[in-house]
Amino acid sequence: MIHRAVRQMVFDELGEDAWLALEHKLGIGPNELLTGMVYDDALTIAIISEASARLNLSVDVCLFEFGRYWIKYAERGSLASIMNFTGQDLASFIENLDRLHLAVGAAMPGAVLPSFTTVSKTPGRLMVEYRSDRTGLEPFVLGLFDGLITRFGATGDVKIADRKANVIVFELQYQDGS
Amino acid sequence: MLLKFTEQQLASLLPAYLRLDSSFCIKAIGPSVAEHLPNIRVGMRCTDVFDFIHTDIEQFFDNPQGVKPIRLVSHCGSTHLFGAAVFDKTGCILAVRHVLSEESMNNGTLYLNDFGYADPVVLSTMLISLQRAMLEESQATAIELAHERERSASLLERTGRVAGYMGHDFNNLLSIIRLNADRLLRKFGHDEKISNLAQIIRETAARGSNITQSLMKLSQQQTDTLLPIIIDDLIRENDTFLNSVVGSGISFDIDLQAGTCESVISYNGLLNCIINLLINAREAMPHGGRMSLSTSVAHGLATRKSDSGETEPSAYIAICVADSGSGMSEALLSRAFEPLFSSKPKGTGLGLASVRDFAKEMGGDVWLESQVGAGTTVHLHLPLANPSAEVQTPHKLGQSTVTPAIGTRHILLVEDEPYALEALAEMLEAEGYVVTPCASGEQAMHALEQQTYHLLLTDIVMPGKTGTEIAKQANRCQPSIKTILMSGYVPDSASLEPGWMFIRKPMDSDDLLRLVASAV
Repeated sequence: MIHRAVRQMVFDELGEDAWLALEHKLGIGPNELLTGMVYDDALTIAIISEASARLNLSVDVCLFEFGRYWIKYAERGSLASIMNFTGQDLASFIENLDRLHLAVGAAMPGAVLPSFTTVSKTPGRLMVEYRSDRTGLEPFVLGLFDGLITRFGATGDVKIADRKANVIVFELQYQDGS
Repeated sequence: MLLKFTEQQLASLLPAYLRLDSSFCIKAIGPSVAEHLPNIRVGMRCTDVFDFIHTDIEQFFDNPQGVKPIRLVSHCGSTHLFGAAVFDKTGCILAVRHVLSEESMNNGTLYLNDFGYADPVVLSTMLISLQRAMLEESQATAIELAHERERSASLLERTGRVAGYMGHDFNNLLSIIRLNADRLLRKFGHDEKISNLAQIIRETAARGSNITQSLMKLSQQQTDTLLPIIIDDLIRENDTFLNSVVGSGISFDIDLQAGTCESVISYNGLLNCIINLLINAREAMPHGGRMSLSTSVAHGLATRKSDSGETEPSAYIAICVADSGSGMSEALLSRAFEPLFSSKPKGTGLGLASVRDFAKEMGGDVWLESQVGAGTTVHLHLPLANPSAEVQTPHKLGQSTVTPAIGTRHILLVEDEPYALEALAEMLEAEGYVVTPCASGEQAMHALEQQTYHLLLTDIVMPGKTGTEIAKQANRCQPSIKTILMSGYVPDSASLEPGWMFIRKPMDSDDLLRLVASAV
């Protein structure tokens, strides 16, 4: 699904030919776009890197943009109902991410899924601990949170507040749109 | 134990719980119920807010020690709860949860927070929803793959067609070069210098022909040369090889009774058929047995429909392959020719299917006779090339008892390449045939109205009328006419009819002359 989302992002931004050129360069095709398959991270990173070059973005910025895009991709596609079910506001959605990932893990054995824990919740501010066996995906997570702020009609900012071992603490500051 | 939980603990385990006293008055409300039914208050009677489905309210508290299954629907109809009532001396706890459906997930009436963290129903419902989403994406992927394959097949087909037409044009040029090199050899072959030059041209044309063969492979051209072939001779020539196909441990008899009778077929095509049949027979006898291959001339109704749509009596060359193997049941027999069907674990299911395709293409037929435990006999019938000559004594290729006298064998020659037409006409005339050369189908149609011909020799791919259209028309208006088609490329639209001979361009002059001689 992630690869299909990257493809859709490149489609939306640069058109089909750009994606076909990317496929050609990486030597990939429909076999690398199968839903339900767990692909090697190296392949996903290679696709993102190639996409970033074509979008004229640094890899970090591309990951951030892709995080934002993933939220839009999920809410308008076949994952819409599960996105709606997970939470009706930003705080509850993030609190329930681990429960959502439980279902994802059951549906895709072998998938390496992160964990999110809300360690502090005050009006307009969330502190969320992110744990993952993967490294280097912080810009993607920043983009996800930014996309979620937008999804719930809020405005705000997200940044890394702390970093220790395999735990990264994100700070979300936001104002509800209403 | 549930009864001892604090309201906070209950709220996190069962967000839709309700605590009641023995008068049905609400003592505590779970956060999810409070969220969905904002008018509910502590102190209200539960029955004023909910209908208890299939529950006798009068006797509800009669057994305060037990647990009762329970289902509630709010009066406004928006909240459905189910679970159990757990009683104590002061009342009960309604340990209930929302009824979760995909619809309530889709329309946003329920959220994860409405369910306890350990609620297994939530995980399974989310899993179903997630799998449905993955299935939708997989279907989209499958459609994309199908389109991709369609595009590739279409590209390959277009490439093949282009290769076919390129091959055709190139073959035509090679054919002209080769025929005219042969002319040079015939006319000036006594001059060593000219003879050498003509040989060089012939050999170079032959090398060019190898290139066109590659193009033809790309265009999937598989039409073999179709010649009148003496079936018994074909079997005799391959006798040793056929014996090796049967292998040891099986007694193999060959009984050839078709004499010199010929059928217009592809040599390799028939050989492949016989090999397939022998392999099938061998595999039906893993522990050995008897096998026979026989030929004879048989009479029966033609399987090929005539123009009137009726069958007509005709003579056939019958080829039989019989084995003493395990035989086949009726069920197996009915599916034996089905493509990709095989009763053998490693069978491809292509052998008998390809035999049937070959028989039909050649205007013949094939069928099986079999009984479980009594072996199988395959009957392959192929039409006689010249039914009137069936009872003749052996003769050589090109000889016939009804051969017209030299100088009276009329050939209608159709070829749109003027240099090839000229070379072919000269070559045939040099052999004593009377040739009417035509540069187009339209000219040929006109010529057919003027006189009777023994043979139509025509190119296939031409502007205007194609060779197959001319042949059909010629066979209609002159049923005794023989037909030889020649081409470097046979388009799919040009279906060759049984009995028509075919020679691939660029052809060797001697091969063509032999074919012509055998036809007339």
